[in-house]
Amino acid sequence: MADNQTSLARAFLAGLWQENPVLRLILGMCPTLAVTTSVQAALTMGASVIFVLIGSNLVVSLMRNLLKPHLRILMFTLTIAAFVTIADLFLKAYQPAMSAKLGPYIPLIIVNCIIICRAEACASKNGLLVSLADAVGMGLGFTGALAVLALIRELLATGQIVFEFGRKVALVSLPDVPLFRMAGMAMPVGAFVTLGLMLGLVKMVTSRQS
Amino acid sequence: MSKLRFFWEQSWLLLVSSLIFGVLLAIVDTAWAPRIARNEVEKFTRLAGGMLPEAKRFEAVESKISVDAGKGKTVLVDVYRAVDDSGRRVGWAFVCEGSGFADKIKLVVAADAGFKKLAGFGVLSSNETPGFGDKITIPGGFYQKQFVGAPAQTLTLVKTGDAERIDSEVVAISGATVTSQAVVDILNRYVSAVRTALQEQGLLRE
Repeated sequence: MADNQTSLARAFLAGLWQENPVLRLILGMCPTLAVTTSVQAALTMGASVIFVLIGSNLVVSLMRNLLKPHLRILMFTLTIAAFVTIADLFLKAYQPAMSAKLGPYIPLIIVNCIIICRAEACASKNGLLVSLADAVGMGLGFTGALAVLALIRELLATGQIVFEFGRKVALVSLPDVPLFRMAGMAMPVGAFVTLGLMLGLVKMVTSRQS
Repeated sequence: MSKLRFFWEQSWLLLVSSLIFGVLLAIVDTAWAPRIARNEVEKFTRLAGGMLPEAKRFEAVESKISVDAGKGKTVLVDVYRAVDDSGRRVGWAFVCEGSGFADKIKLVVAADAGFKKLAGFGVLSSNETPGFGDKITIPGGFYQKQFVGAPAQTLTLVKTGDAERIDSEVVAISGATVTSQAVVDILNRYVSAVRTALQEQGLLRE
């Protein structure tokens, strides 16, 4: 993955399954557990991470031949912080309700291991196109995992999938039965249990594949 | 001289990158800051206006009010006078904040024209537990309704009681006692300080 011969397709596909940051590498657990109480919040977090990943991977790839080994982490952090600040300001300006809901988790992308891991493992060793493909693949893999986790939690906690665009719209509404009103699913315990079951399922599938 | 050259060779990329990113962020901030400020004003006006329906606009009181926020911290609070079409004062509103169960809770609090009764509170931002503590954010919910018409004095949280009776006792949200207590504490800390300051400035005699 981290060698110069990495193909575009391989770089893109790795993040979706083989090296999925959430389900296979167990990275980015903080937002994975914290913002998956609703699908809209998960997708917003995913879009923010994709933006930051693309920006940081491209910049790190561009400057890869100029990086001093002992200053590279500082350069990665500086680059990531700049793109995270832009994403944070954008949400405050155009999605204020979602910005308030996500709270500190958007600024915390700065310390998200996925971003710095991709800068170190891929962008600092590969050209622009491979770095871009890696960023998009990893970002989509992260977003997909968060969306599935949020879908399960929101449905089981509230029986609805609600999106808010000025006013709230329920895209899915399930019958008012106890199965779909498990308040614990909206709490941290729900995140841990659901993620644990998802990881177990992924492990089962990959064990059979191998 | 050679030390200076060594320093430049080692750090030029960091210095140039910092400059470029700094300029980029300054441009982005300049472009979006007015919109962000407008969003905050709109949210404040929407929340405060909902509690004081007669209010047509909110005018900031000239001097900020100093409030003891606990742990040795003092915060300066902007207090707004709500006025109707004819310019008559119909209430007061201000923003206050304090620690909740999960994170900081930021509220808009409104009081009547004489600052004797609360007109309620609205939540500007909070990250309280979904399904429990986040019930403080429901406008017209049983918790928020207890503050509409409550005396603008020290409030007390009780675990059981009649939530329909409006007095200085506030019934906690079941399963969210910490969040319920946090809201009461924030109001207790700010309401009396703001009222006293307005009295001292002679603004409540208008």
